[in-house]
Amino acid sequence: MRMYFRELKAGIKSLLIWTAVIALLINVSVIKFSAFESNPESLAILDTMPPQLMEALSMRAFNLTTLEGFFGAMFVFFALMAAMAAALWSSEAIAKEERERTVEFTLVLPIPRRRIVTAKLLAALSNCALFVLFTWLISVIASRSYAPGKFLFDFLRLEMLAMFMIELVFLSLGTLLACASKTPRRVGSMAIGLILGLYFISIFVGMHEKLTWLKYLTPFSWFNASAFFRSGRFEPHALVLTGLTVVIFLFAAYFTYDRRDLYI
Amino acid sequence: MNKAIYRYELRQRWSSVGVWAGSLAGLLLTFMALFPSFSADMAVINQIMENFPPEFKAMFGLNALNFATLEGYFGFCFVLCQLCLAIQAANYGLSLVSVEEAELTADFLLTRPLSRPTILTSKLLATLTSLLVTQIILWAVSLASIAMFKGEVHYEPRAIFLLLGSGLIFQLIFFSVGLLLSLLVRRMHSVTPWSLGLAFGTYVISAFSGILGDVKLEYLSPFKHFDPGQIIRDMHYDMRLVLLDGLLVVLAISVSYWLYQKRDITSPS
Repeated sequence: MRMYFRELKAGIKSLLIWTAVIALLINVSVIKFSAFESNPESLAILDTMPPQLMEALSMRAFNLTTLEGFFGAMFVFFALMAAMAAALWSSEAIAKEERERTVEFTLVLPIPRRRIVTAKLLAALSNCALFVLFTWLISVIASRSYAPGKFLFDFLRLEMLAMFMIELVFLSLGTLLACASKTPRRVGSMAIGLILGLYFISIFVGMHEKLTWLKYLTPFSWFNASAFFRSGRFEPHALVLTGLTVVIFLFAAYFTYDRRDLYI
Repeated sequence: MNKAIYRYELRQRWSSVGVWAGSLAGLLLTFMALFPSFSADMAVINQIMENFPPEFKAMFGLNALNFATLEGYFGFCFVLCQLCLAIQAANYGLSLVSVEEAELTADFLLTRPLSRPTILTSKLLATLTSLLVTQIILWAVSLASIAMFKGEVHYEPRAIFLLLGSGLIFQLIFFSVGLLLSLLVRRMHSVTPWSLGLAFGTYVISAFSGILGDVKLEYLSPFKHFDPGQIIRDMHYDMRLVLLDGLLVVLAISVSYWLYQKRDITSPS
């Protein structure tokens, strides 16, 4: 418990910075939205835009003159930021001990290694949950001046849930990387590389019909904003895949960290 | 310059350069492999798009990127490459000297009978070499993938060369600003959040440009200085901005030398 609170305190600055960045992003985009709202013609051009491009930017099916459509198009940014924050928080918590030579101190405490991982994981999880809540709050506040309807709030709830799911996947991925990697210095870059790679794959998915099978590979396609915008729910395979990856990654993380030779 | 440090640094960077160049190559090849199927559908749609008012297209950065042409398509792909290049360069700049303090090897390095400028120069040159190698691979893969997948399409080689040519100075900006940042803070625990902030922050600024109207915020972003859409349209760089960038690089590196010379090194206690 003490370790959990210590980790939480160490992560607060980072959480605040990420929240400030996403607040800025949301507010700037809502300003951008006002340009669309007053221009119904902008809808016409979107209809004639190349479908591959719209798919690539995941703007398809979004009516950008409505606030919910606009938040739908914003989801890509939310998802990317959530993924990065989650992966960095969870991997940093474990890798930093080795990088800063404090791991010997931590590991000689009379606590099994798995409890250490659990404490750090929970702290990162709390950070992620808070991050989503803040994003939610800021979105609701930012959209207030446009007289939002119930549909927007329902959609936002769904979007935030998807953001949290993506966070869960990358949270466990970050933990696994930090637990399994022999070079703690590289863990952050590895996580970012993986996220960018998965993001690029999700762009490819929309570009060609032969590549649709790729959508099972990347969390960014599991939670495709235009799909759950239309249907109002997540696809079953997305939830199953999320659950599976989280369980497998976390299991592998605990398993390797218990047996791991540490970098000292 | 000290040869031993140079060689050591180069060896340290080797795998990182391999990974970055490999991912760039993968990205380019996958993207360009989709070009043949893409260009077939696009010709018609582009004709329709030409009838639309320029403001609307500006919002999506489509004003200059004509997807049916090879250079337009390559330009779209190059934006993603730029993002990778920026993160790589920012990473290298931020970690160049801060890694010694983060890993508590700074006092070992600085007790060598070498002046701090010598150490910094050796490290700088080693990183410069690795950035150059990345650029060479980027050039080779780009030209090869274009040759492989261009099919019957005619394109403007000058546009491609201009785009690729912007890569090095683009990386140098992020590298030098990263180096300067790492020397301005007292201690840098982890490099990744900083480099992400630097690269993504400026990327998002440039992605929003043209929408915010009169706000000149986008000029802060190197992504805007080397906007592929603008380069392909005008067939030249915006020379004033490039000069400004050159000045920024020189200034940032000079200030870094000065800061490093008088830096108080945190050491393990």
